[in-house]
Amino acid sequence: MSRVLLSTLLAAMSLLLVAPPAPAHFDGSGRYTHVACPGTAATRSDPVNVVFGTWGTWGRAESQVETHVGWTATSGSTQHFLDHGGCFAQHAQRASGEGSRFHVRIRGQHWDSGFGWTAAAGAHHEDLVLFPFPCGHAVDANGPGGSGFDQGRDELEARFRAAGHETSRAWWGNTQSFKQCDGDYAASDGWTLFVRLHQVNH
Amino acid sequence: MRILAPFALLASVVALAAGDGGGPDGRLSLEEARSFTGFPLFYAGQEVDGLPLTAILRRDDGADYVSFVYGDCTPVSDAGCAVPAEVQVWESADRNAGSYDRSAPGSPPLERTTIRGRPAALVGDGALEIYTDESTVVVFAGTRERRLAIARALRCVRGERSGAGDGLLECRS
Repeated sequence: MSRVLLSTLLAAMSLLLVAPPAPAHFDGSGRYTHVACPGTAATRSDPVNVVFGTWGTWGRAESQVETHVGWTATSGSTQHFLDHGGCFAQHAQRASGEGSRFHVRIRGQHWDSGFGWTAAAGAHHEDLVLFPFPCGHAVDANGPGGSGFDQGRDELEARFRAAGHETSRAWWGNTQSFKQCDGDYAASDGWTLFVRLHQVNH
Repeated sequence: MRILAPFALLASVVALAAGDGGGPDGRLSLEEARSFTGFPLFYAGQEVDGLPLTAILRRDDGADYVSFVYGDCTPVSDAGCAVPAEVQVWESADRNAGSYDRSAPGSPPLERTTIRGRPAALVGDGALEIYTDESTVVVFAGTRERRLAIARALRCVRGERSGAGDGLLECRS
C-alpha cells in the first residue's frame, strides 16, 4: 500500500516539475480605477493611463515618481484596481502638493512574462475647487492641453523620459467620461503610457 | 451635493431642450450638434432605457469626438463618477478596430460581432464599438443589455437617414 502511495506521490511530483507554468500576463481588462470593491461599471472613477513595467514593482514606481518627478505628497482618497478578476486597494499614491496638483495612484499588478513586474497607475492633474462652492479636488475638464488625466500622464512621460527611462504608448480606448465635483466632465484620450523601470537605470 | 444633484440634472435637461449655446467648457446644445459637419453623428435620442440626455460634449484637443451623456451621477471630492451611459462618436479614421495593438501588454480583449449591419466589438470591460463607414460609435454602459438597448436606439443626429431599430446604421455627415 505504501509502495503504491509512494509511486503516486512521485508521479505527481514529476508532473509538477515538467508542467509548464500557468500563463502569466499583465491583465488590462480592468482599464479603470474604482471607488469601492467589487469594481463595477457604476464604481468607476478614473482611467488607468500609466503602466510601469520591467521591474515595475509598486515600490519602485512609487520611489521613482518621487525621485524623477518630485511628487512626494501622500494625501488623497483610496481607489481600487482590478486584476485577474479580483479587486484590490491601491498600494500607494503620490502628489505634487496639496492644492491644485498632479496626483497618481499606484497598484502592483500581476507579473507579465514579457513585461516583468508591473504596476498600474491612474495619473491626473486636479484643481482644488473652492468657488462657487467648495467641492475639493476635481480633475481638469477636457481642454486644449488635454484633460487632467492626459496632463498627468504626459507629465510622467516627460519626466521619466528626461531621466533616461524608455517609454511607449498603447491604445486602450478607455475614454469614458467622468463627472467631477465641479460639474465638468473629464476623460482620457485613450492612450496608456508604458514606463520601463529597468534596473540598468538605477 | 446630493441635494443639488436633481436641480443640476433638471438644469441640464432644460438647457439641452432650449438649445442653449455651447460654452467654453466644450458643451454643445442639440441644435449645435445637428449643425456639426465633421463626421456623421449618432445618438440614442433624448431618452434611452429610462435615462435622459443630460449633456453633449465636444472634444477636439487631440482626441476628437462628440459625446452624448445619458443620466447623471454624484461625484465627490477626489473621485469623479461614471454616468450611467454615454455614446461617443469618433471619426472612423481616428478610432476603429485596428486601433488596438493586440501585441501590447494589457491590450483589452475584443469580442467581434455585428450590430445593425455593421461590424462591431465588445471591448474589454464594458464598451461596445460599432464601426460605420465614416464614424465609430462607442457605447459605455454598465450592462451588456443596456449597451445593446442603446445600440438599437441609435439614430442620426441630423438627417434622420437611419432611425432607431434593427435597420442598417447609416448617417450622412
